[in-house]
Amino acid sequence: MIIYVARRLGQSVFLLFGAITIVFLALRVIPGDPASLILGSQATEAEREALRADLGLADPLLVQYVRHLGEVVRLDFGESWRLGGDAFAGVLERLPATLTLAGYALALTLLVGFPLGVYAARHTGRFADRLVNYLALTGQALPSFWVGIMLVLVFARTLDILPATADGTPLALVLPAFTLALPFLGWLARLVRNGTLEELGKDYVRTARSKGLSEQVVFNVHVLRNTLTPVVTVLGLVLGNFIADAVIIEQVFAWPGIGSLMIESIVNRDYAVAEAAILLIAVFYIGLNLLVDVLYFWLDPRITLETV
Amino acid sequence: MVSTHSRRDFLKISSISLAGAYLAACSVGGGDQGAAEQALRAAFAQPINDLDPHGPSSVDESTLLAGRLIYDTLIRRDGDKLVPHVATSWEQPDPNTWVFALRDDVTFHDGSKLTARDVKASLERVKDAGTAQSALWTSVSTVDAPDDTTLRVTTSEPLGTMPVNLTLMFILPAAKMNDEGFFRKPIGSGPFRVEAFTPSDELRLAAVDYWNGTPKLNRVTLPFIPETSSQITALRTGDLNVLWPIPPDQLRELEGLDEIRLETVPSYAYYFTWFNCGREPFTDPRVRRAMWRAVDVAGTVRNLFGDGAELMTAPIPSTVFGHAPQQPYEHDPDAAKRDLAAAGLGDGFRTSLMWFSDTGPLADALAQAMISDWAKVGVTVEPQNLEKAEWLRRLNAKEFDMDLQINTVTTGDADFTLGRLYDSQADRMGYRNPRLDGILRRAHQDSDRRTRGRLYGQACKIIWDDAVGIFPAALISTYGLRSTVEGFEPVPSNQPDLRGVTLAT
Repeated sequence: MIIYVARRLGQSVFLLFGAITIVFLALRVIPGDPASLILGSQATEAEREALRADLGLADPLLVQYVRHLGEVVRLDFGESWRLGGDAFAGVLERLPATLTLAGYALALTLLVGFPLGVYAARHTGRFADRLVNYLALTGQALPSFWVGIMLVLVFARTLDILPATADGTPLALVLPAFTLALPFLGWLARLVRNGTLEELGKDYVRTARSKGLSEQVVFNVHVLRNTLTPVVTVLGLVLGNFIADAVIIEQVFAWPGIGSLMIESIVNRDYAVAEAAILLIAVFYIGLNLLVDVLYFWLDPRITLETV
Repeated sequence: MVSTHSRRDFLKISSISLAGAYLAACSVGGGDQGAAEQALRAAFAQPINDLDPHGPSSVDESTLLAGRLIYDTLIRRDGDKLVPHVATSWEQPDPNTWVFALRDDVTFHDGSKLTARDVKASLERVKDAGTAQSALWTSVSTVDAPDDTTLRVTTSEPLGTMPVNLTLMFILPAAKMNDEGFFRKPIGSGPFRVEAFTPSDELRLAAVDYWNGTPKLNRVTLPFIPETSSQITALRTGDLNVLWPIPPDQLRELEGLDEIRLETVPSYAYYFTWFNCGREPFTDPRVRRAMWRAVDVAGTVRNLFGDGAELMTAPIPSTVFGHAPQQPYEHDPDAAKRDLAAAGLGDGFRTSLMWFSDTGPLADALAQAMISDWAKVGVTVEPQNLEKAEWLRRLNAKEFDMDLQINTVTTGDADFTLGRLYDSQADRMGYRNPRLDGILRRAHQDSDRRTRGRLYGQACKIIWDDAVGIFPAALISTYGLRSTVEGFEPVPSNQPDLRGVTLAT
């Protein structure tokens, strides 16, 4: 077990290294650089060259890369030219807002998606099942930015019962969290429904029933536990997706998270902030995957190191 | 169905997560909902990224807007006049020397006194910052503060724009301005002090006892809302008290509402379409003029922008000092074709137009309208809608045929735009005219307002007649105000003075 976790940790470090390298290269390959954005269109080429040298952008790419790796290890990405001050601190400052939104959306996904799936499974083929299935598909199919704007139009502009943007009130969380959760909520409901149905057809369920256990016990104790394994896998990925999807949602709802920060920093070639933000998202994604793998053992004792 | 037991769990879990969300949301936005307080929520369309008024954002309208509320300047703009502010008076004993007399009753928010040493340190800081505003101060050679209330500035060549440039030069406390992290909660001497600042998200300000009129508001919050429809919704629902500038195509969303008042003022921002005058066939002024005549500028501006823009009559907006109205180019496709034929382009030609979508409101539509008008005279224009950084790179490298963009005359003085863009040495778009260079240089150096006005009038005519670019529309800033907002004065700079604003209850 410990060996397995250690091996996965090693893989994660390798993945992170890859992510850092790709981000570093991608940002420098795309045209335009911080020097011209800082100086605007009025500066001369000589002034831009001088600033490039100042910022260390005139050095060979390999030198910049090695220096960047050093920065990453020390978690010091340098100054953000656009926001002033330490870039990593600037990103960390925005992190709680994104995590709050993702956490709340996850809760919403679980609390609505899971019961819906179970309900549909227990009423297979009936109207409720078909309705859940239909709604789930619709939720998955609608693009988030459109849903966000529509929700603002209906609940903020027309009905005026919820704020359109992050104005500091707890109600402001409702629309963005729902928009973020919607596609995954449907996904989860369908996954739980299908997983539950599959489990219900298995031998152990027949055995449990023939032992004379009540349907409640069969379902709540045996079946649900076994449907949890795929659900946990999905949730790990979903949480990672929440953080990535938040980029769009944060823009629509003026939510002060790292998503909107990242977009702006890329557009403005604020390398330090972009690198810090993307690295943080990568760490989350990789960390969650690791967590999911470890959770398997706990949830399903049948899984052994040989099977993974 | 779910058992009673798990239903109770469900409720327990949901109430916990709701409470958690409540706490979290409070910490995200601050959750400050003062009741009897005069608290204004005002949103400007661009984010405030940096409160350093001398740094990389020094000529961004959003940083200037924040600067006007937090800091002081020596001279202030009041309408089209320049009026004393921290400087009570100034004189020019010789063309290269300026002497300013300063007030001695101005204090910073930490209680320390503002002296000429602070002004000296600030001016030297902005001059050496290597940022967009530094370019205004290159000819400053020495700054002296012989005593607390006297500032002496000498220049290597006469700088007639000294007073107007000083309206952008914010004064920081010399003792603290270089401290680590100073600009996250900077100290100024302006009417408001910084309570909290999250870059490109929200700035929260509180009023101070100000030497030049204490603000009537207690608090001002300036949130940034990226999505236009969310901005409009927030204003309509009362989440915001003020929003500006409102894009022309969004005006109808706010028109005819009792609780919302729209106020407009012509701004310092305008569109131009430059020709790369160093590239064939735009080296020939006849081709450039024909391209202008081919476009139905008046119709396009009216149809696209409505009340959101005015047709330009000079290469700078009518609000800017130095504007002199010129003879308009009539829309005449036939004449355009004849002129192109006379220039040897009777069969038309292929060229390209570059821009980036966020340069200003309706940029894509404006580009498309011009391109379709050019197609009617046989000129095929490839649309090049670029990403901002790539656009800037190509603009700087002069890798373009035509360039459409917004430009802002930040100081409200023609020198800021004409003097810096059309000079042969600046070489922005390949246009070279020694006569224009001479006029612009004299206007830059002269400090007599009437002489400068006359010189810029000549410059406007040359640039217009030579069709260095097409100058279609100057934007009109529309401010959306809740009807409870009183005493708000819209300004062309997009940097309103909030001292006189009150909220009716």
